[in-house]
Amino acid sequence: MQVKRGIAVSPGVVTGEVVVLGTEDFRIPQRFVSIDAVETELGRFRSTLEAVWEEIEENERLAREQLGDQFGAIFGAHLQMARDPKLIAEIEGLISEKSLSPEYASSRVLRRFARDLQNLGNQYHAERAVDIFDLEKRILRHLLGERREELLNLRAPVIVLAHNLTPSETANLDREFVMGFATEVGGHTSHTAILAGALEIPAVVGLGHFLSDVSGGEMVIIDGNHGEVILEPDDETLAKYRDLEERVHSVTERLASLKTLPAETLDGESITLLGNIEFPEEAEVCRERGAQGIGLYRTEFLYLEQNRIPSEEDHFEAYRKVIAADPDRQVTIRTLDIGADKMPETMGDLAPDVVNPQLGLRSVRLSLHNIPLFKKQLRAILRAAVHGDVRVMFPLVSNLLELRQARMILGDVMDDLEEQQVPFRRDVQVGIMIEVPAAVMLAEEFAREVDFFSIGTNDLIQYTLAVDRTDPSVADLYRSGDPSILRLIRKVVSAAAKHDVAVTVCGQMSSDPVFISLLVGMGIRQFSSTPHAIPEIKEVIRNLTIEHAEQIAAHALTLDLARDVENYLRGELHRICPDLML
Amino acid sequence: MTYTAQETVRVGLEQGLHMVPCSLIVRTAERFSCEIQIQKEDRSADAKAILDLLTLSAENGNELVLEARGAEADEAVKALARLFESNFDDPAAGSQPVTGSDR
Repeated sequence: MQVKRGIAVSPGVVTGEVVVLGTEDFRIPQRFVSIDAVETELGRFRSTLEAVWEEIEENERLAREQLGDQFGAIFGAHLQMARDPKLIAEIEGLISEKSLSPEYASSRVLRRFARDLQNLGNQYHAERAVDIFDLEKRILRHLLGERREELLNLRAPVIVLAHNLTPSETANLDREFVMGFATEVGGHTSHTAILAGALEIPAVVGLGHFLSDVSGGEMVIIDGNHGEVILEPDDETLAKYRDLEERVHSVTERLASLKTLPAETLDGESITLLGNIEFPEEAEVCRERGAQGIGLYRTEFLYLEQNRIPSEEDHFEAYRKVIAADPDRQVTIRTLDIGADKMPETMGDLAPDVVNPQLGLRSVRLSLHNIPLFKKQLRAILRAAVHGDVRVMFPLVSNLLELRQARMILGDVMDDLEEQQVPFRRDVQVGIMIEVPAAVMLAEEFAREVDFFSIGTNDLIQYTLAVDRTDPSVADLYRSGDPSILRLIRKVVSAAAKHDVAVTVCGQMSSDPVFISLLVGMGIRQFSSTPHAIPEIKEVIRNLTIEHAEQIAAHALTLDLARDVENYLRGELHRICPDLML
Repeated sequence: MTYTAQETVRVGLEQGLHMVPCSLIVRTAERFSCEIQIQKEDRSADAKAILDLLTLSAENGNELVLEARGAEADEAVKALARLFESNFDDPAAGSQPVTGSDR
């Protein structure tokens, strides 16, 4: 049993069998074979070995011919690895004595050898581990043969482990079968993390290297509450977690009963709770959790899910779906918020060498740089507005010129639509994300020109504290409770109040019950959170009075360390809602 | 009692016993039917198993004991000792480490 620590990005606890995603999706179909099948499986393993030897010999011959003896020698060594008598004996031993499938046995033994090499502590041997993984892939490829195609389709609930899950990969996971996941890289506001929250499954990221210790088919526990992944848990641990899973389930059920109750403080102040979504399908989930609308529809997944730029109709269809889930509620659509480097093929040339994607050509800058692309999205938004209370929001606005240009283009689009006699709405509300410190400093100027603000705490914290939110090595510098952040939020709220502009907090901070009393106390009356957090936030609000919230905020603002702020808020939350601290 | 042959050798390779010399050891050892072990301090590796040899992690200057047991034990030990003496200078295979990632 091994316990690995990472960053918890989506809560919950789940136990299950592993699928390791590599550059090829090798799904080890089963760990065990029946006793009567052992002889056949041994035979299958031996013929696989022979095929592998032939293959490597051929590679060696070609390499010597075309590249020279030195390179041929590599394959020669690979061949010897594949013929290593101890390796073979160990694998065959597991098959015949423990009834393990050849796939599982090979993977386990090879990964152990790889780990032994890596543990020798020198670079050279660690790199040889790569050769062993190569051999593992070869052997598995032969063992799995034609069955590979079906394996890309999961047929049973599993837990997915990977080095990294790109947003596209995550978007393409079969949600019916993925119970949870863990990755070696990633930070807690990376897109992968956001998706885990959206999928509402436990997830841990930023674990560092651990995949070489795992084989497909193994049992694993993902503890999304504490950020732990437990490999091959012993019986005692397994029982403990199954028990925890049950308890969490019952708290979740209780919170679900809050759905019909209003998000009102003890002294009757109404707070609006909205949901954040990435996919249209999640709008339904938001409604079920009691959201009063969508406060943030992150539209970039339209660009990431496919290999081509989405058309106006693609946009329109997605927006209509979202509106249809709850037609009487608001839907705030945020325009494209990624960089050219993440866009499908065709846009790659716009950003050839992106050194600093977080500070580069992305979001509203990208849109302003590619007006036809921008107009496509805006047209779809304005057309969809006919069907519901749709609002437009521009991300990463850092100066007034950008805002004015964006509004001008919006105006042009409206004129186009009118000329073409396409139904749309002119009176849509227009707002911006406040996530760049510059926007905070000019909040009053911005407040004069928009209908609403949405404070994007994820990026605001990143840009203010100068911390890469996806880099695990600086993860502990990224603090929502940093005193600087509190002061920035206070500034935004005060500027907005002067011009009657509504302020929402979206971003991780608004999904964390710990910060709710603070934000309410600072004057925030709208939150847009991940759907699964909505019941918890409602619970906090229903146990608050505005006076208490304001006292908490006032005290928090006197503290000068993020750590002190967070400890204080945790203490207050425990007093207000002892149940929530699981 | 089976006949045992033994000889002590020294590793004279800057990179230690990396992939290619290990590969040569295996190739040589396989020619003989006897059991052959290579010992470094208290660890022992089967000279016909490349992964074993790699994990022995023998470095430049290390002293190793070659031990063969059974038929042709003397010849086996001599052949392997020769490899070490010549610092694995086999023109057919090259004795420079080539990293797998250069593919």
